[in-house]
Amino acid sequence: MFITVILTAAVLVVGAYVVAKLIGPRTYNPVKGQPFECGIPTRGSAWMPVSVGYYLFAILFLMFDIETVFLYPWAVVVKDFGAMALCSIGFFLLVLVFGLAYAWRKGALEWK
Amino acid sequence: MEVKKPVIKSIPYAEFKDNETLEKIVEELHEGGVNVVCGSLDQLINWGRSNSLWSLTFATSCCGIEFMAVGCARYDFARFGFEVTRNSPRQADLIMCAGTITHKMAPVMKRLYDEMAEPKYVIAVGGCAISGGPFKSSYHVVKGIEEIVPVDVFIPGCPPRPEAIMYGMMQLQRKVKVEKFLGGRNHKMTAEERRQAMEPIVVRNVPEDFDPKEGLKED
Amino acid sequence: MKLENIVLTNANFEQQMQELRTKKNFDYLVTIVGEDFGEEGLGCIYILENTATNERTSVKMIADKVGNDFVIPTVCTLWKDANLLEREVFDFLGIKFLGHPDMRRLYLRSDFAGYPLRKDFKAQEGYSMDDEPQDDYTNEYYIDKEGKLAVKKNRLFTDDDFVVNIGPQHPSTHGVLRLQTILDGETVKKIYPHFGYIHRGIEKMCESYTYPQTLALTDRLDYLSAMMNRHALVGVIEEAMGVELTDRIQYIRTIMDELQRIDSHLLYLGCCAQDLGALTAFLYSMRDREHVLNCMEETTGGRLIQNYYRIGGVQDDIDPNFVKNVKALCTYLKPMVKEYTDVFGDNVITHNRFENVGVLSKEDAISYGVTGASGRASNWHNDVRKNHPYAMYGKVEFDEITATTCDSMARYYNRVEEIRQSIRIIEQLIDNIPAGDFYVKQKAIIKVPEGQWYFSTEGSRGEIGVYLDSRGDKSPYRLKFRPMGLNHVAAMDEMCRGLKVADVITVGAALDFVIPDIDR
Repeated sequence: MFITVILTAAVLVVGAYVVAKLIGPRTYNPVKGQPFECGIPTRGSAWMPVSVGYYLFAILFLMFDIETVFLYPWAVVVKDFGAMALCSIGFFLLVLVFGLAYAWRKGALEWK
Repeated sequence: MEVKKPVIKSIPYAEFKDNETLEKIVEELHEGGVNVVCGSLDQLINWGRSNSLWSLTFATSCCGIEFMAVGCARYDFARFGFEVTRNSPRQADLIMCAGTITHKMAPVMKRLYDEMAEPKYVIAVGGCAISGGPFKSSYHVVKGIEEIVPVDVFIPGCPPRPEAIMYGMMQLQRKVKVEKFLGGRNHKMTAEERRQAMEPIVVRNVPEDFDPKEGLKED
Repeated sequence: MKLENIVLTNANFEQQMQELRTKKNFDYLVTIVGEDFGEEGLGCIYILENTATNERTSVKMIADKVGNDFVIPTVCTLWKDANLLEREVFDFLGIKFLGHPDMRRLYLRSDFAGYPLRKDFKAQEGYSMDDEPQDDYTNEYYIDKEGKLAVKKNRLFTDDDFVVNIGPQHPSTHGVLRLQTILDGETVKKIYPHFGYIHRGIEKMCESYTYPQTLALTDRLDYLSAMMNRHALVGVIEEAMGVELTDRIQYIRTIMDELQRIDSHLLYLGCCAQDLGALTAFLYSMRDREHVLNCMEETTGGRLIQNYYRIGGVQDDIDPNFVKNVKALCTYLKPMVKEYTDVFGDNVITHNRFENVGVLSKEDAISYGVTGASGRASNWHNDVRKNHPYAMYGKVEFDEITATTCDSMARYYNRVEEIRQSIRIIEQLIDNIPAGDFYVKQKAIIKVPEGQWYFSTEGSRGEIGVYLDSRGDKSPYRLKFRPMGLNHVAAMDEMCRGLKVADVITVGAALDFVIPDIDR
């Protein structure tokens, strides 16, 4: 069952890509390689010092995303393990909630 | 096999204007006869393509409001498959140029057209896009976008009624339905063509005393 | 209003303008009209208004000739909207304003040759398909010690600035407006607007058309105030000629103006929502807009471009079903307006995005000349229908909707209330349309007596004014339209400093401008 799911997913994705590459048109012109800025050529370099707010936002997102990744398999097996599973996930979440509360308190969730 | 006539469900074939151009296109494209496999595959692909043409949001002036009205509940172009209007030309199939193009806007429009991915179409909506319209005598108006980009369908009017715009869209759908996709529209550039298209711009006859950093010096 | 110009010269210009601004309190600069006066040379007419007494005056100034250049001292320190208005005059006539910090072209390409509104302008064949050259520097002109014209370079962008173009091809800029935004992370440091992507040269074209021919182009200016645009032009010509209109014409014009205002505000409510991402509200308001268009289309034949008024009256009498349909429309619209606030206006997300965004104080609103519902949201009583009544507005009862919070939420709610007031005006007039002529017959060739006139009407977005300079011919010598939106975009730079990028779109959506009206 699991193998069929994986195989179907792979076949569909690879198949769509291959068909598109075989029968799709392909034209090139210099403008297609340039960034789109509403029709005007860009000014200045893109390698600018980036504001640190973006970094904070990305780090926080990454952390809570990984937490969600751990929650999904837990949700699948929780019925089999009963109260023990609930306790351990509770501990895991508690630690992360402390982290969130700290970030919230320190103002990392606001844009500066 | 014979290429089928393009069918639009609600309007009989004979009631469309300008069937001659379509028939001429069919004749020229399919001169040596049509392979059964390729022909059927073409019809399938063209059926899919013509019923899901997504246009770029490109409305410069008054015709843009009629374009928005066509998208809204009363006239609804989503039933034809023009479901969403994409904001980026890289994701759009078609530019519906609704409104006047001025000399300042012309390079912008050309750049947007160049950035679109093949296969792409252009519809000129309204008098201004066809020939300059009421502003033909102006010093700053492009007299028809055909000077800049190749146009597939012209929709006259100032502004054209929403029904007229939908009729123009249906004409484009018919044109897409008779295209030769495999071997025609899905033409891949050969290495030679690609080299020519991507040639860098060479500036000749640069004067001896030209200093590229001159403009940046502080006074 | 016939303009009796106070003529100033170089000797007393700066001092007199200072006095007009500070001592006599002419704090609203309505418009600056650049004109090629022929033998007198190039010059400008400044139309000023005292917002406390609603008195208007005009100043005429002929430019000084220094070498080959024409110069006038700048007034952008006295009135903030003079910044863009003087750039417009420089663009079209080549008059250099001394002391203006950013003397660049506003509408035409930076490499455009010539000045279109000069009488000796020859249009060039062809146009360039290269991208417009962008310079990091701008010019400021001044007279040096020897009395010659000298130029100082001001820097627009430093090397570290991150510059992003919003527009011209953008779903939320209401047309082809290019906002060059300097960003610091998500925060906006400065906005430079670039216009001209839909500049069709209407004013120059009108100089070679007869008066009835000039009417054809007005509906294409701000197509959502098509009736009011035309009303302004027809109003100035009729005032100049001294045409007496019948009451029936005035009633019909007022009702049509108000229907057009409802149409425009409905579109505004929808587009405001669409720009913020709430696409469904757009469909709601466009559905009701179709009902309004049905009423207008039965009489005028057009949905967007109506071509209804003409000099001396209207094209044709109202349809026999007009009164019945308009009354049904008013009954239908009243509960619908409540639906818009239920769906979008009272939504907590809308409030979070609109409140305290784009704050413009009353003094700034007057200095920038932000008229219309956006200016009234800053508590400035600028409704032309109340201050300088025309048509039937002096005789009907309606409220001028103002607010004191000066932010985008006030601008939104203002327009919702204005729809209700428009319905109120229509209901007072619709049953009492007097019998009479719908057109007062004019001569075949219309000639306007010599002189200068200015007439303004309240468009959906602000004050639309038309300045007419006639030399007694059958074509106008100079025709200028006061754009409603130019002042709004001029104020955007100051309103958006320190806001985030998403708020720039919010401010633009709530301000409500239409670019073909700015570009003409």
